[in-house]
Amino acid sequence: MHRPEISQSRLISLATWFENMPAPSTTLKKPNYGEQIRAFAPVLVLVGLVLVIGTLRPGFFNLESLIVTVADTAILFILGAGSTFVVMLGSIDLSIQAICSFASVIVALMLPTYGYGFLIVALAMGLVAGTVSGVFHVWLKIPSFIVTLATSGLLVSAALLLSHERAISIEESGRAYLTWVNGSLFGLGSLRLPNVICIAAIVGALGIWCQKYTPFGRYSIAIGAGEPATWASGVKVNRYKVLAFATSGALAALAGVLMAGRQGSGSPNLADQLLLPAIASVIVGGTAITGGAGGIGRTAVGALIITIVRVGMTFIGVNIFAQQIVFGLVLILAVALTIDRSKIVIVK
Amino acid sequence: MSYDHEHSDETFCEVNKSSTSAIADTESAQAKVTKPETRSRKWLERVKSFAPLLALLVLSLLIGLRNPRFFDFFNFVRIANSAAIPLVLALGATFVILLGSVDLSVEGILALGAVVVAILVRNDMNQNSFGWTAPIFAIIAGAAIGFLNGFVHVRVRIPSFMVTLGSWFVGIGLATLILGGRNARVLDPEIRSLALTRFFNFPLAVWVALGVLVFAWLIERFTIFGRHVLAIGGGEDLAVLSGIHVNRVKVLVFTLAGAFYGIGGVLAAAQLGQGNATIGDGRLFSTITAVVVGGTSLSGGAGGVLNTLVGVLIIAVLGNGMVLLGISPDIQQAVQGIIIIIAVASSIDRNRMKFVK
Amino acid sequence: MAEKAFLSLTDVSKAFAGVQALDRVSIEIRPGEVVGLVGENGAGKSTLIRILAGVYRPDNGALLLDGRPLTLHSPREANLNGIGIVFQEQSLLPNLTVAENIYLGQEKEFSRLGVVSWPALHAAARRQLEKVQLNIDPAARTARLSFAERQMVELAKALALEERTERHLVILLDEPTSVLEQREIDILFERVRALRTRASFVFVSHRLDEVLHISDRVYVMKDGKVVAEMPASETSVPQLHRLMVGRELHAEYYREARQRVPGETEVIRAERLTVDGSYRNVDFTLRQGEILGIAGVIGSGREALTRTLFGFLPHTSGTLTVSGRPVRSSSPDQAAALGIGYIPRERRVEGLVLSLPIVPNITLASLATVMKTGAIQTKQEREVAENWVKKLHVRTPSIDALCLNLSGGNQQKVVLSKWMNAQSKILIFDHPTRGLDVGAKEEVYDLMRTLSEQGIAIVLTADTLEETIGLSHSIIVMRDGQVTARFDAPPGNKPKQIDLIGHMV
Repeated sequence: MHRPEISQSRLISLATWFENMPAPSTTLKKPNYGEQIRAFAPVLVLVGLVLVIGTLRPGFFNLESLIVTVADTAILFILGAGSTFVVMLGSIDLSIQAICSFASVIVALMLPTYGYGFLIVALAMGLVAGTVSGVFHVWLKIPSFIVTLATSGLLVSAALLLSHERAISIEESGRAYLTWVNGSLFGLGSLRLPNVICIAAIVGALGIWCQKYTPFGRYSIAIGAGEPATWASGVKVNRYKVLAFATSGALAALAGVLMAGRQGSGSPNLADQLLLPAIASVIVGGTAITGGAGGIGRTAVGALIITIVRVGMTFIGVNIFAQQIVFGLVLILAVALTIDRSKIVIVK
Repeated sequence: MSYDHEHSDETFCEVNKSSTSAIADTESAQAKVTKPETRSRKWLERVKSFAPLLALLVLSLLIGLRNPRFFDFFNFVRIANSAAIPLVLALGATFVILLGSVDLSVEGILALGAVVVAILVRNDMNQNSFGWTAPIFAIIAGAAIGFLNGFVHVRVRIPSFMVTLGSWFVGIGLATLILGGRNARVLDPEIRSLALTRFFNFPLAVWVALGVLVFAWLIERFTIFGRHVLAIGGGEDLAVLSGIHVNRVKVLVFTLAGAFYGIGGVLAAAQLGQGNATIGDGRLFSTITAVVVGGTSLSGGAGGVLNTLVGVLIIAVLGNGMVLLGISPDIQQAVQGIIIIIAVASSIDRNRMKFVK
Repeated sequence: MAEKAFLSLTDVSKAFAGVQALDRVSIEIRPGEVVGLVGENGAGKSTLIRILAGVYRPDNGALLLDGRPLTLHSPREANLNGIGIVFQEQSLLPNLTVAENIYLGQEKEFSRLGVVSWPALHAAARRQLEKVQLNIDPAARTARLSFAERQMVELAKALALEERTERHLVILLDEPTSVLEQREIDILFERVRALRTRASFVFVSHRLDEVLHISDRVYVMKDGKVVAEMPASETSVPQLHRLMVGRELHAEYYREARQRVPGETEVIRAERLTVDGSYRNVDFTLRQGEILGIAGVIGSGREALTRTLFGFLPHTSGTLTVSGRPVRSSSPDQAAALGIGYIPRERRVEGLVLSLPIVPNITLASLATVMKTGAIQTKQEREVAENWVKKLHVRTPSIDALCLNLSGGNQQKVVLSKWMNAQSKILIFDHPTRGLDVGAKEEVYDLMRTLSEQGIAIVLTADTLEETIGLSHSIIVMRDGQVTARFDAPPGNKPKQIDLIGHMV
């Protein structure tokens, strides 16, 4: 696109003196087919993975084990879905695992005494935590990664204090309030569809709808794709940024509630290991960290890929300890493929 | 006299939102030329540059007033000791942040370094007994990951944030892989001496940290490399056009940071008496907090090694103070969270005037 | 003074995105002389010196040094050949010291094994500073210096070339005086004169009296061509003016026939509007259907005024009344809520979200109009987009084409349709035809007339004086932050550019 005049350096500097656009181009440029292929890559990868693993280990295709895989993905997806809006903005939320863990502590502490009240408190906490992050981010102009690191610090401290630094198991009477998490409303005969999948599906459907049909969804993409233009079009950018972080927090809290239900306990570091996979789900699914493209649907694909990679690695017999490395590399690879470099001139 | 300034209309140049240079600032199409500092602004700038030091002194005073045991010599030793590893880590991160980049791989490389040292010296897991050459391997491992960080960052043009997020987990993964589920307890007394032996009352680790500090300061102050780091952070496009080998500098910065984290890993293994993959948990946050609170700007080009020293001391004093005042250590992270927000919010950061992500 | 030129451009042309910035330009610079370069905005001066400085490469033609053709790939290469350029102080790194800025990228000469010898560097810097009579500590941080001092450091930096090459130097000065006080300007000129034996200068400026004062020869540029060249002693400021702007206004080009009498209703009234540091005590009124042009050069404050109207830069004092209500917009969304729209100068950054298709861009400022019960009606939205694309003749294969792929003119039409869909009653046009070819410009002019006929009030900050005069009903001229003149510009009786220029510079 740009012909760099400064041939000695690969970095294309866009200081106003030095930008230099190529000569006459009054005709329309052809669409970039490479980009279109890139858009479908995650789905292709998913299908490819399933086939590869299925071929190597036919046991993988067992319907029950597939359902379990999807159920495992459900919570990861919910975590990732919330932060998808934040990533679409071009920001990041590093507090989701803290919100998630704290929510599980709230659940464990409030049951059975407060009954279903735990749900309200946990979700409210997530909403508030996200809102606080968002407000500090827009009002004080603090980069999102710092502000969410800070909120995560606050939340971890709160969780540690409330739980006295240990995991709290939920007693029998309390678990009665969580059967909906572990149960399965739908199913065919002995084959049950876990509720978490349904919940995740609802979250997904709502998320996709929001993304396509609400101003929030529309503006999140617009802000990520071109914040100056969105700002200069009279959009209340700050409001939508805060909303994105609030959503991220609320969904992280929901994920925390579900985790508490599944584990039967809550602890201050329950979700610590989930930060990377959650972000990876978003990125691997095709939402670029530069923002402006992607969505909830993609995060679902990404979450499935992440889970299948993990499950698949175990199936194939990849050393469990090597799996983290694989994740890290996969993440870098995914970013390399999805990043929109035309938007970043000076890469920092 | 009007300071409203624009570049000539005939430069048909479009400005990109992400450029960090003041020149290509989106707003600079109708830019205000940075005003020369009026007397009061200069004064304010001076005060701001001393704010972290002032904060440190005030904090110490307040704690000391509540509990005079703070001023005990051996308390200072304790503070220094608790600051040793954070200082080494933060010094590595400082160079990265001076560039205007970010390094999230601290914990991963630290863990890797600790594990490498733990399994190479005399330990309860295998028959190795490398002695003092083990730390060298740890540092090389750290530098290697750091090098990869820098290399992938400049070659593939992935933002540092993302690359180091990935290598964070690669580091942890490698550490986990090497240990294979076991724990390696360090049995070599010489390595453990880093933490246990004292020299003029201070553990060797403190002296190592001091050495690293001096080294880092010399680099920042006296080497071309150090000055170029500041130039790149202050205006990368200008640096490029002035013929500075920006890519080379960046790769070297990340490599250096990795080496520093490796040193931190060695010290951590010595301190803990073992190497494991979680040994670095939580250190990323405190490292970045220390650098930012010390006054180094996140957009690059301002701050430095001495700033980081002050920042690390503030964190260490805070931790020490909380113990002396009987405040639960659980709150530590919350306090760090608050002070990093205050520190960033009150900094006059070039980038913050534009669209913050 | 030797007669033979030692640095010259021969038949150099340069185009940007379809627009010809330089058209077969030839100039020459002789040893020891000061060459003045004048012309309107858009005449090509900036492009010309940037080619000399190695920032741009010419599309055609040659750069000759001592008769040998030379290709410069970077400013650094230009430096090595003795050519240096002095911009405003933004080309200094504020966080480094003066000495480091002067020798940025060349520290090797003052170091051993990678370690810098500060005494050596400072001593060398002091020598350079002496050349420009700047008595400051080379170890001072650049951020602490005043404008004038930074400008002098820039000059010193360029003069440091002296030690790097044996050649005669060429120092290019790009609007060096616009931020200086008179005293500092005198120093600058005195230094320039003193350095003649060692360097030639090219002095680009809007300040014609200064140019004549200091130059030996002057080139006048217009529309990318050199239209005149003469010794400074043989010309005068008025003559330069005439040469710079000489063309007759084509009434047809600006559709003057469509210029109607504006309505009576006042939509904007500004009284003593001030933004500290940018402009002060600006008064004007804007009526329905009126096009108000704001004329002014760099530093006049007109850019800031435009930004104030759309909420980017709230005024610090004075009153701004929009549709009868006093307002103070501190952000664009407040301005948009008042019915104001903004067609920005940086269209690709502030006008459109390039990586999104046409459809969402058109509804970006008026999403509510395609919504029902909280949901976006995508079908309706597409119909709206289709309508606008048709109405404004946006050339695109489909409404789903990314704005990235549209030509400049069509991009501008999408920006316009965005605000037209938002039913803005007041539109601010900021350099609306920048980067557009002639056909596209004319389409924009037509659209502006249509809007004006519909009663939409327009504030215009145009690229050229000619455009300002041709399109506007009334014009205010600004200089150094104040309104210096007002003109009525009825069709058939438009003011001459000469009349305006006097109040602009």
